[in-house]
Amino acid sequence: MLSIALSELVQIFRNRLVLVNSIIMPAAVSAFFIYRHEVFASVASLGYIAAVVMFTVGAFGLYTSAVTTLAARRQNLFLKRLRSTAAPDTGILAGLLLPVTALALVQVSVILIVLAAVASQPANVFLLVAAVLAMMAMMIGLGLATAGLTNSPEHAQVTTLPVSLGVIAVTSWVGISGTEELTLLKRLLPGGAATELVLNAWNGGVALGESLVLLAPTLSWVVVAVALASRLFRWEPRR
Amino acid sequence: MTKTPVIEVDRLDVRYGDFHAVKDLSFQVRHGELYALLGTNGAGKTSTLEVIEGHRKPTSGTVRVFGHSPEDRRAVRPRMGIMLQESGFSPDLTVRESIRLIGSLSGRSDEVGRVLGIVSLTEKAGTKVSQLSGGEKRRLDFATAVFGAPELIFLDEPTTGLDIQSRDALWDAVDRLREQGATIVLTTHYLEEAQQRADRIGLMHRGTFHREGTVTELTRTLPAVIRFALPEAATPPLHAARGSNGSFLVETFELQKDLHLLLGWAHDHDVELNELQAGPTRLDDVFRAIGTA
Repeated sequence: MLSIALSELVQIFRNRLVLVNSIIMPAAVSAFFIYRHEVFASVASLGYIAAVVMFTVGAFGLYTSAVTTLAARRQNLFLKRLRSTAAPDTGILAGLLLPVTALALVQVSVILIVLAAVASQPANVFLLVAAVLAMMAMMIGLGLATAGLTNSPEHAQVTTLPVSLGVIAVTSWVGISGTEELTLLKRLLPGGAATELVLNAWNGGVALGESLVLLAPTLSWVVVAVALASRLFRWEPRR
Repeated sequence: MTKTPVIEVDRLDVRYGDFHAVKDLSFQVRHGELYALLGTNGAGKTSTLEVIEGHRKPTSGTVRVFGHSPEDRRAVRPRMGIMLQESGFSPDLTVRESIRLIGSLSGRSDEVGRVLGIVSLTEKAGTKVSQLSGGEKRRLDFATAVFGAPELIFLDEPTTGLDIQSRDALWDAVDRLREQGATIVLTTHYLEEAQQRADRIGLMHRGTFHREGTVTELTRTLPAVIRFALPEAATPPLHAARGSNGSFLVETFELQKDLHLLLGWAHDHDVELNELQAGPTRLDDVFRAIGTA
């Protein structure tokens, strides 16, 4: 698994398009939100900024990169090549996704640390970490499922849009309007509960137990996504 | 070569929806032999190979490789090298990195430099795969298949796109591996390669074996051919089909005897046999016979 991960990391840094899409673009968007944090905090809250930058990295740095990587490796039969070795399927997938996951985790961590440094610190770091990890698990699961419907890296530019834009829209909706109204709907939408968890973690004022319950919908999305992926994921291009 | 089977295929069926790709196929590949799986387009070779390699589940039937299910990668893959029909390398990795990666996952150990030398890619070690020619990619593919000298090697169209020197080098490497006891499963459209090198051939047509056996066994049911042309007045001593411009074609199951008779007759009658060609039945002829069957 580690040798696959290492080769993937090498490829990410050799491919400028992937580098821009997965690292530079989310970092630039996040930098804008942090630079204008006073404006966004007045419209919503610092928790909203934390949630939106987290999902920007999750959607573009992790989810889109994962789908593009898997589609590209399948299209050029690299997945079949890897499956011709003694490596197990889970090890192959883990190796392929480990670099984008680690890069996204580092990005989110750095961005949130910078936000905490220039604005104010989160009320509950533990909850924030839980929200980040749950969000990443959900985006990887959705990435695996979407990769099953994606024929090529070019096709990924289309197939990833609904989830990418969807989770950022849900984040903004929940982050700005809160969950007092349409609570169940907002929590059940992908990214809704994780956004509320980030709001609670950063802004504070909500009991720990009440916040931890919010992990359930996000982790349910992980289960749904993995179940979908197990049905949809293909190792070879369609004939 | 021993009789011990390395691959055992028993009543294999592969279906894709309504399409029956492989039908009730049974055969064995013995330790140390070079077994060529040949067939017409769409005959089911690729589906059969994919099941044996563990890339596809059979619809029914059983396949054992070294006594294990081919899907048991941990047991089977370290003993097996696979040269896929299509490249399947990451374009952004170099040749050295590609061999190192696939080699490290093979479950075998070897030196990348040695493997590069086998396929004459030492000078291209630092070149990205995207910058290789088609023939160089095939050589890279072969390099990953023979990394660590596996006991069983699948060669799927190994010489397609290779120049004559590279073909010779590849077959030399295969010969060396066979001397070490390796078993080879070959698919190719270059029938002369199979004719020259295969110990046995499985000839597939419409999902099952049309024929199976050695080259001699496959070709002896079809006659050899003698072609020649004669001056207008001459009549050959054999039953021959007459073609245009004084040409004749003799089909015979006794090539040596009939050729001797023809040459003796030409010598005795001072007749020149123009454009004389004689040869044993080739696999090409067996293939053509399938097409007309």
